[in-house]
Amino acid sequence: MRWLFMFLLACSVLSTHAGEMAYTVRVTDLKAKPYTDAATLSKLPEKSHVEVLARKASWMQIKHDDTTGWVKMLSLRFGDATQQKSGDSGLSALFNVASTGGSGSTVSTGVRGLSEENLKNPKPDPQAMKELQRYTVSKRDAQSFAKSGKLRSNQLDYLSAAK
Amino acid sequence: MRLILTALLCCLAAPVTAFDFNLNDLGKTLDTLKKVNQANTDIDEPKEIELGSGIASNLLGAAPLLKNNPVQKYVNQVGMWLAMQTERPGLPWHFAVLDDNDVNAFAAPGGYVFVTKGLLAQINSEAELAGVLAHEMSHILGRHYLNAIKKGARTSLLAEFAGDAMQQQGANPALTKLVNAGTEVYARGLDKSDEYEADRMGVVIATRAGYDPYGLPAVLQTLQGMNAQDASLALLFKTHPALSDRLSLLDKIMSGQFDDYENQPAHGQRFMTVMGKTGILVNRR
Repeated sequence: MRWLFMFLLACSVLSTHAGEMAYTVRVTDLKAKPYTDAATLSKLPEKSHVEVLARKASWMQIKHDDTTGWVKMLSLRFGDATQQKSGDSGLSALFNVASTGGSGSTVSTGVRGLSEENLKNPKPDPQAMKELQRYTVSKRDAQSFAKSGKLRSNQLDYLSAAK
Repeated sequence: MRLILTALLCCLAAPVTAFDFNLNDLGKTLDTLKKVNQANTDIDEPKEIELGSGIASNLLGAAPLLKNNPVQKYVNQVGMWLAMQTERPGLPWHFAVLDDNDVNAFAAPGGYVFVTKGLLAQINSEAELAGVLAHEMSHILGRHYLNAIKKGARTSLLAEFAGDAMQQQGANPALTKLVNAGTEVYARGLDKSDEYEADRMGVVIATRAGYDPYGLPAVLQTLQGMNAQDASLALLFKTHPALSDRLSLLDKIMSGQFDDYENQPAHGQRFMTVMGKTGILVNRR
């Protein structure tokens, strides 16, 4: 039983972020295990640089100064805290488009793509709409899909906005 | 004395006339308001679906469907299971992957949800996909695009569309105009408050469906870590609030609320298996 649990736990750990650098956006407890009541190894100050190893639900396994442990994933942002990322505002991406000639001049009419120009001068595709219908699944199909993945539904109210 | 009385009368009379005049005016205003109201509330569900279907067709005109049946089917299975956890399970829900390298996702009124190949390439698990789909579905559940279209359209156009019998043969000019105006909203984006609401609803819907609640925040975090200069992010960045703000708000509201659901599956393996042979994940970081 125990090995099964360990196996399941291992499966639920996603290691796709392995090796990426991140930093803390607030003071954050470094925990020995991914649980709130696990032992606290240390308190990481804001803007601590860490290496991300894996994610498990709301936790990220990280390495900081040779100590490995778990922190709340939302206390982290990827990248380097010292290089103020302007990307968050999206402005640099826009400027980038502008400096490479502007999307208006690079996208000529007739070229497909989710550009602003194409959304402002749209052309419908009724054939694709027909094809789209083919992919639709029934509720029964969705239910057995959920069952095969052991997805059990929960009653849960929507959250109100943060104050 | 008589002079004072006359003066008083004048003072009294003047407001009365003014009031009379205002009442008239108010009546007219109320009439107009009533018409506006009627036009607004009269886009019922069948009309909403008709409008959304036109917008979906336009989006497909900009980016083609990914030609991969297993992937399209899989996204529909996840999507339909999510839809069954919402307050509008009876909508004709359709989900599709667009063959486009831009990183983005869209929802059109009435149940159409699109995610690009470029966004799928940044996703690591079924729970993350569920989070993205649930965010988009929330725009439909909350009628965010519908309201944005109504806000931008002339009352007369809305009234014409709302009043037209659906079974009319041939093109409905009001429908075409509204559909095209509606498609333009996708280049501008929704109100920030709508995006924040869709984030709040999205994490709840994914959790209701039995997934790891942190799929959506994980995707937002991944995108936040991408090179901001990447042109494939330009439209998403332009039409959405800053990712760091969205993450901070989710951090605040999710804290402590989802502890009971921490161990729900993320299904990283199932996601990877479906995507494995497609080449979609080839270009990931």
